[in-house]
Amino acid sequence: MKSSYADFFAEIINHYQELKIAFSFQDWGTDFLRFFNSEVNYNITKDNLNLKAQIYKGKRSYSFQMDSPTEQDIIQTIDNAILLIDKLPEDPDFVDLEDNMETVAEIPKENNIEKVSLARKINILKQISDAVKPYDYNIYGTFICNYCTQYIINSNGVNKTMVNSPIMLELKAMSQKNDVTVISSFGGEDINDFNLENFISELIEKIKIARNDIIDVQPDNYEVILAPSSIGQLVAYLVFVGMNAISYDKRQSYFENKIGDKVFSDIITIMDDPSFPGLISTDYNSDGHIYKKNVLVKNGTFKKFLVNNYYSYKTGMVKNGGEGQCLVLDKGNTTLNSMIKGIKKGLYISNLHYMNFINPKETSVTGLTRDGTFLIEDGKMTKVVNNLRYTVKLVDILKNITALENVCHIIPNSGNYGAFSIKSAAMPHVKVSSFKITSSTETI
Amino acid sequence: MKKLVYDIISKLDLPDITFSDVRLTSTDRKFIYFEKGILKRLGSIMDSNALGIRVLINGCWGFSGTNDFSINSIDKCIKTAINNARLGSKYKINKVKFFPIDHSEINYIYKPKEDPFLMDDEDIISYWKSIAKKLYGEKIVFSYAKCHFYRQYKIYANSEGTVADTIVYDTLPSIEVYASDGKQVMSRNFPGHMAAKRGGFEVVRDYHFPDMCEVIIKEARELLKAPTITEERADIIIANGHLALQLHESVGHATEADRIFGMELSYAGKTFVKPEMLGKYKYGSDILNIYSDSTDPDGIGFHPVDDEGVPGKRVDIIKDGVLVNQQSSRETAHRLGLEPSSNMKASFGDDIPLIRMSNLCIAPGKGTLKDLIEDTENGYLLDYTKTWSIDDNRNNFQFTTEIGWKIQDGRVVGIVREPTYYGITKEFWNSCDWICGPEEWGYHGTFSCGKGEPGQAMHLSHGIAPARFKNVVCNVRA
Repeated sequence: MKSSYADFFAEIINHYQELKIAFSFQDWGTDFLRFFNSEVNYNITKDNLNLKAQIYKGKRSYSFQMDSPTEQDIIQTIDNAILLIDKLPEDPDFVDLEDNMETVAEIPKENNIEKVSLARKINILKQISDAVKPYDYNIYGTFICNYCTQYIINSNGVNKTMVNSPIMLELKAMSQKNDVTVISSFGGEDINDFNLENFISELIEKIKIARNDIIDVQPDNYEVILAPSSIGQLVAYLVFVGMNAISYDKRQSYFENKIGDKVFSDIITIMDDPSFPGLISTDYNSDGHIYKKNVLVKNGTFKKFLVNNYYSYKTGMVKNGGEGQCLVLDKGNTTLNSMIKGIKKGLYISNLHYMNFINPKETSVTGLTRDGTFLIEDGKMTKVVNNLRYTVKLVDILKNITALENVCHIIPNSGNYGAFSIKSAAMPHVKVSSFKITSSTETI
Repeated sequence: MKKLVYDIISKLDLPDITFSDVRLTSTDRKFIYFEKGILKRLGSIMDSNALGIRVLINGCWGFSGTNDFSINSIDKCIKTAINNARLGSKYKINKVKFFPIDHSEINYIYKPKEDPFLMDDEDIISYWKSIAKKLYGEKIVFSYAKCHFYRQYKIYANSEGTVADTIVYDTLPSIEVYASDGKQVMSRNFPGHMAAKRGGFEVVRDYHFPDMCEVIIKEARELLKAPTITEERADIIIANGHLALQLHESVGHATEADRIFGMELSYAGKTFVKPEMLGKYKYGSDILNIYSDSTDPDGIGFHPVDDEGVPGKRVDIIKDGVLVNQQSSRETAHRLGLEPSSNMKASFGDDIPLIRMSNLCIAPGKGTLKDLIEDTENGYLLDYTKTWSIDDNRNNFQFTTEIGWKIQDGRVVGIVREPTYYGITKEFWNSCDWICGPEEWGYHGTFSCGKGEPGQAMHLSHGIAPARFKNVVCNVRA
């Protein structure tokens, strides 16, 4: 491969004038520390060069992927595709490749794989495991640094380079007596934003609450506080299946024909905003469209779908390039403590697990709580509750939010497959007046 | 490529490395996707090479993977794997231990009847185009027809002298339609959530897709006006298009030994199973026998040796309803005092091996599905997964299928939409009172069993026959 990937792909595009070609090439690596039982499980390092290519001749297309390709491999594959492509049926919905030329100023990014060495990670984890040991807790989780350079180049002149080096620490502390688990996480692009002292003290506070008695609760509608991780997952599912042009095209979106409608109360504003402070940034979407702030719901009113290049042509909606990679639920004006104090009997839900749609159109889902579900009685968290199953409509949850915390927390999440991507969302704690618990797992 | 692997193993012959292994995979994939009768995607991923090196030093694993096979890259990979283990061992209390295994040398090549990688692409396109064009009609607002072909060449070698190279082929075809009346959208797919099988294009032909298009269109339309289940509890028969997933989630993942020790707690979760339950715990009814069988070449989970050198084997997991064993690695088997079950698999060469289901099967019982329906006074036959969810201890599950058939006095009398049932694993499997016989038994596989961090999607299969479960909670709604 030539020294400049961008130049090489531009040359190929120039050579095949009869084709429209889109390349996405990733030079990606991860340093991935898995730990369990307050000790190392695996130290994993992976490096990967991956090319994705989409070739169009008129409305006929062929796509391919290659790992660690040579120039010869790429040219040979395109030549083979040319022999086939005229025989393929057309896609009448295809009009053109991405043509958004806007770029962001390239800011050099440190390689966190080098900056946050394995020895440094181990040192951090040792301090955390020492801190929780007196409570008879051990730590489990992952400490990850990625470094990825992505080149997005196409025949319309799009030629963009994006560098990311996210850090993610997801840590669960589990009681060695009764398996009660609590979770804390850090996600960002600068390890200097990680305050170990605060991280440990917040974790210890959670452990102290988790040492209370364990009970079961009956299926019912509860007033709940959803921790940022929990509401973040619910919002992400709603955006994924309800607020993007793909679900609209499948006729599966709850928000079909609802642009401009008041769908939630005034306090709900949802954005996809790469410029939000602390979020892991994204410069471009997967087509190379610049990634800018999109307000999806403004003070309860549904404003727009996330629309990429292809579905813009297909649905007639205005392209905005959003993909829901940087979701923000706008903060409110109350503190977490005052939210809890106002609940006579309810639940605090730290995290969710294995959520899936029952009916996407009506936004009904089922899933479970995990990593710390607590009973709230007379304004205090008093007991640990076995993990619970909920069966709810996502839109009802958003409709039933009565208060939002006055701060947004950065919640990292991992793509987990292929080139392991790390994204984040900014979410406050929220208070929900009615959350339907349909059964108990009878386990913690 | 074999020479490359041998060279790496020889370079790992260092005093402080107590065990090492190397995996190299070269994977080819082809995919075709029609949406609403239009070809949206035809493509390939060819010669996707990946290599991973795993070493055990001072009781700690180190791993490094790459898809760059240049000399510099391989040398860096070796050095990184060693460094990862050496540094990691400073934060390691319980050292990894396991017993040695006799070495084996194996070569296995699966030959499909119709190799999709040798077929003319035009023939593949033509077949699927004809299917996609049938998925149209009144109220049908969306449809797809798709197929994914997979071939993987793998070399495994370890420091005990085991070397295995294998070639396998898997195929995953699927069709689905969405019907809408303007208010609701109902979907019907075929052949179900676990449609993958070992083989080539013959897998596609064996499903008889041309005959099934009309069936799913009709059912999708009828579901729009079908009633829902009203009873709080009912006897349910689960057919093969869904039972594989029920087995997978509530027995398969629950009996992976790494979950007992919290190795997957961060993402996939734990398990309610504890070591002291082995040999005692009544997991299911007396008729329930479940085994892990990586020796059957008809299943996707077949392997001559697993990804840490354990020869393929058949192991009883549940015998006459009692939990008797675990799916294990060499490390977890040693911790539990068991023989390793040959369940360590890595999706690609640059992935770490994890405890994975191979061919996890319910042993067949007796009778046909027709016999079972006739034996059912009141109940529902459920099929084709729509939604699945289970807690991180694998104890509380809730499933929705696309369609159900109401049974009265041994006869099917109508359909119900989105039947949803929930259960607790032990109660549910103990309520199983009928498992159909060998004539109904078959493998149902997937390409996408997700587990691990970094995440891996595994190919595996389940041997199952329709079964009946008594008095199940089956009316849960949002």
